[in-house]
Amino acid sequence: MSLSNVKDTSFLGGRIPPEIESMSKNLKDVDQELFRKLLKAVVSALEGKDCREIMKSIAESSVIPQERLSHIIAGMHRVLSEAIRLPASSLKQETFKEDLRELRIPEDFITDFSSVVFGNRRAALEAASSQSDPHLPSLEEFKWRVDVSISTSSLARALQPSVLMQLKLSDGSFQRFEVPVSKFQELRYNVALILKEMNDLEKRSILKIQD
Amino acid sequence: MTSIIKETQSIKDAVAFINTIDVNKFSRLLSRIIQKLHVKGERTFSEEEEQKLQAALSLDKNALDLVLETAAFILEQAVYHSIKPAALLQQLEQIHLNPDKAEVFSQSWASAGPELVEKLKRNTFAPKKLDFVSWQLNLQMAQSSQARLKSPSAVLQLGVRNEDSEVQENIFVEFNHQQLLEFYNKLEIVQGQLDSLT
Repeated sequence: MSLSNVKDTSFLGGRIPPEIESMSKNLKDVDQELFRKLLKAVVSALEGKDCREIMKSIAESSVIPQERLSHIIAGMHRVLSEAIRLPASSLKQETFKEDLRELRIPEDFITDFSSVVFGNRRAALEAASSQSDPHLPSLEEFKWRVDVSISTSSLARALQPSVLMQLKLSDGSFQRFEVPVSKFQELRYNVALILKEMNDLEKRSILKIQD
Repeated sequence: MTSIIKETQSIKDAVAFINTIDVNKFSRLLSRIIQKLHVKGERTFSEEEEQKLQAALSLDKNALDLVLETAAFILEQAVYHSIKPAALLQQLEQIHLNPDKAEVFSQSWASAGPELVEKLKRNTFAPKKLDFVSWQLNLQMAQSSQARLKSPSAVLQLGVRNEDSEVQENIFVEFNHQQLLEFYNKLEIVQGQLDSLT
């Protein structure tokens, strides 16, 4: 580590976010029990749950003033969101721990942070945080029906097949529409085409570049 | 074959009027009616056009209405039963339509009939129909909560249109690779069902 002035920047970037700086200053005389309670609450918040009650009860039962607690919580939140942003393949656990040691965060706390970021709750955290990112609705449910209309009020013998589709989208909307057989073929063809393009894309070298 | 046109009083009256119309004019009238037959709720002729027709065919308003309605009715019956042009000719002679007019009917039916049947086959009760398919394949590099993604994502645009309107409503759906594959597999099942019908 003697080449420390050539070290890669911390996973937190060139400038350490202020809330993390202030968190590390405020972690003095915080015992592990309190730390873990706070960490648990912050993880819940990141998963999208409402933690106001929990935070209130922690604040009331602790000797540490509320202002200090809020610095700690803000810092924890930032450390975790920044770590989760990076794919697990590019931020290794050792690097993460090293970077936190640089911030003079006690070793026990580093272990606790690490077990959240690299543990089995990580997938849930990633899923929850990407909820609020902009995206178009995705397909939640796809129901279909193939009909053959034998006779109609205008034709005694129609014998025309058609497909009825009902899509339930992730934004809660339902879309129901009929698909003439020719359009169905077009849809199927296009979906197959996109899949082929996706496969080609995934094979290309740009995706093989390690970061 | 059972007659598809019962000779009621109003049919008799209509036939009497039709028989007075010049055969060429009648031929043109009939082509226009056939063209618009598959469209529901739209009058074949505008008010203006109807007035001109009244003058051209020397028919008063009631007579003209009867003629138009009856001609349309005969054609609808022809479509419903998918009757052959020769059979139609016979039926029209049975209701005492002049041979030249009957011939015109039969010929118009022979040329425009099959297309009309096809159009009507495609008419359904479903409120919306899929009219337009388009897509975009993107490679998502990052988002607020995730850096360094490189995940392919496809956006499918489905344009659906209400039966009688020109307005197209767009449905946008996003898929990742896995979701698209699942969707495709379901489409394949539907295709299997369609194939088993033929």
